[in-house]
Amino acid sequence: MRKVMRLAIAIGLLAASFGTWAADKEIVIYMQMGGTQGDASTLARTNGARAAAAANGVKLIEQYSKWDQQTMIDQFKQALAAKPDGIAIMGHPGETAFAPLVDQAEGQGIIVTSGNNPLPGIEAKYQTKGFGYAGADLYAGGYLTGEAMVKAGGLKAGDEALVYDIWHQEGRSRSSQGVYDALAKAGLKVDKLDVSAQVDSETSLGIPILTAYLQAHPKLRAIGTQHGNVTAILPKVLQAAGKKPGDVICGGIDLSPATVSAIEQGWISASFDQVLYLQGYVPVMQIVWTKRYLVPGLHVNTGVGTVTPQNVASIKPLIKEGIR
Amino acid sequence: MSRLLGILGRVEGLPVGVVLALLYVAFMIFAPTVFTSYRIYMSFFQTVPPMLVLAIGLTFVITAGEIDLSFPAVVALSGFVFTWCFETFGVAWPGVLLALAAGALVGWVNGFLVAMLRVPSIMVTLAAQFFWYGVTILAAGGLQIDIASVLSSPVHGIFVGRLFEVFPVQALWSLGLVVLFWFILNRHRFGQAIMFIGDNAEVARVMGIGVETTRIRLFTLNGALAAFAGLILTLELNVFYPTQGQGMLLPVMAAVFIGGTSIAGGQGALVGTFFGMYIIGSLEAGVVATGIGGYWVQLVEGLVMAASVILNIVIGDSGLSALSSTARRWAVGRR
Repeated sequence: MRKVMRLAIAIGLLAASFGTWAADKEIVIYMQMGGTQGDASTLARTNGARAAAAANGVKLIEQYSKWDQQTMIDQFKQALAAKPDGIAIMGHPGETAFAPLVDQAEGQGIIVTSGNNPLPGIEAKYQTKGFGYAGADLYAGGYLTGEAMVKAGGLKAGDEALVYDIWHQEGRSRSSQGVYDALAKAGLKVDKLDVSAQVDSETSLGIPILTAYLQAHPKLRAIGTQHGNVTAILPKVLQAAGKKPGDVICGGIDLSPATVSAIEQGWISASFDQVLYLQGYVPVMQIVWTKRYLVPGLHVNTGVGTVTPQNVASIKPLIKEGIR
Repeated sequence: MSRLLGILGRVEGLPVGVVLALLYVAFMIFAPTVFTSYRIYMSFFQTVPPMLVLAIGLTFVITAGEIDLSFPAVVALSGFVFTWCFETFGVAWPGVLLALAAGALVGWVNGFLVAMLRVPSIMVTLAAQFFWYGVTILAAGGLQIDIASVLSSPVHGIFVGRLFEVFPVQALWSLGLVVLFWFILNRHRFGQAIMFIGDNAEVARVMGIGVETTRIRLFTLNGALAAFAGLILTLELNVFYPTQGQGMLLPVMAAVFIGGTSIAGGQGALVGTFFGMYIIGSLEAGVVATGIGGYWVQLVEGLVMAASVILNIVIGDSGLSALSSTARRWAVGRR
């Protein structure tokens, strides 16, 4: 009888210690990263999330959606089915789409947090349960980019400008609206042009479109976009239209190798940098802190800045390391 | 009159060519600043050729009664192989050969599975699209790679340089390939075999055509062409990005069908594909230049595509013959 009791106690202790070890070691987080693995608008976020996961013994499951909102929702459902400790989502599909799913997750005790695009209603509802936000104020970032364009090019009232972006998706055009408003506030005549689904997936197809626009508007002084891959092709567009660096002031987003090269050569005057590394690091930490220390959701502004020909040299080493 | 219509009815790709000409005339009327300048055409010659090369291969595949959905992945794969080779060894020509070989290998595997294991090509190539795209992303670590130093390489000048510092050479490459493959499709045994197989594979077999061998060669050829498209795209942009080519599937397929190639197989129209690709490649730019803004662009594009296909059917080969007969009857009635 004693032997049986000893065995039961030993098994109980083993199970308890395994449980403690599992609780310490096995925090599982599903995280939506955004675009595709390694692209300019995603790489630093992935690196930040991996660093936080490695530092905290977290098992990180990365989900890439190519910025497709339906895919983000599907990925949330997949994550939900796996019953992880936490899920970090992108806010792009919006509150109506995410609210019932977050309710379901919270009901199962899963910690949910968000990034890149805020979900204020859901955040307010579940902040005490760890629902936070890590991201830049996209509108402010776009506005800053627009202001930097005005300053860099000496743009003045009456000058013509174009903002080329995905206007048909509200969730993906907040920063572009910032660019638009900054240019409009400076008195420029600003036009909007929608990036079609075709160009969104293969941006080289945008070259003749922007070339045609430039030809049709010979007085155009500025082009703004908050589409990372469109930013990268802007030098090719300007070359095709027979322009030289500085003829048309360009403002964009993200820091792909092609964009950095274009900034160095003077084709692009300012590119919005939202410190993506933190947008990866903070959501993982948020879930770990909530899981281990019951920390409520933190609303973290990861910063808003622009990379310009004046500061690109100092930031370039960090870009090469995948930190910016 | 009826003889003229009869002759016109036998001119390959004529209806689509007419649509393209009408489209450019309309753009010249509504956006004269843009379409009477040479720059917009140079821009088309810069961006349409990769898709045109893809469309050549796809025309062959569809003529054979098959489909290939894997070419976007081959565009990315070949771009990566070239970039990796150039970055690692600093030499471009071996990169070109390796990239073409990689595309041909993907095509050969597709062809082998379709021809020897009788797996439907739509399934094989769909799986191949996911698989090779995944392989490319894994191999590249998802990273964009800037290869600005390729600008000083002869390979850049040969494939995507500028004639007289203006004209994109890739437009000549793609035009040359259209001519070459038109002769292969219409004047060579390989082309005839493809048409027979597309019409009826069993009859083709009875006629002594090596159906399996031809299918393997066909997919291998398509893989190599897709690799060449990836190569010129990468060289033109001086950068490799893992998603390159992913947005080309629908435009390329649209160009082939607008061009008059039969979806049922057995009939291919490379001249139509050529015109169709330039319609698709210049449509959005033209609509934007006319000042039709906002969300109307997609709607107008859809209308023009639909009009092209309808016109192709109405005044295409058989349509023109019917029109010619009607004209003859009308003329006889007048007498």
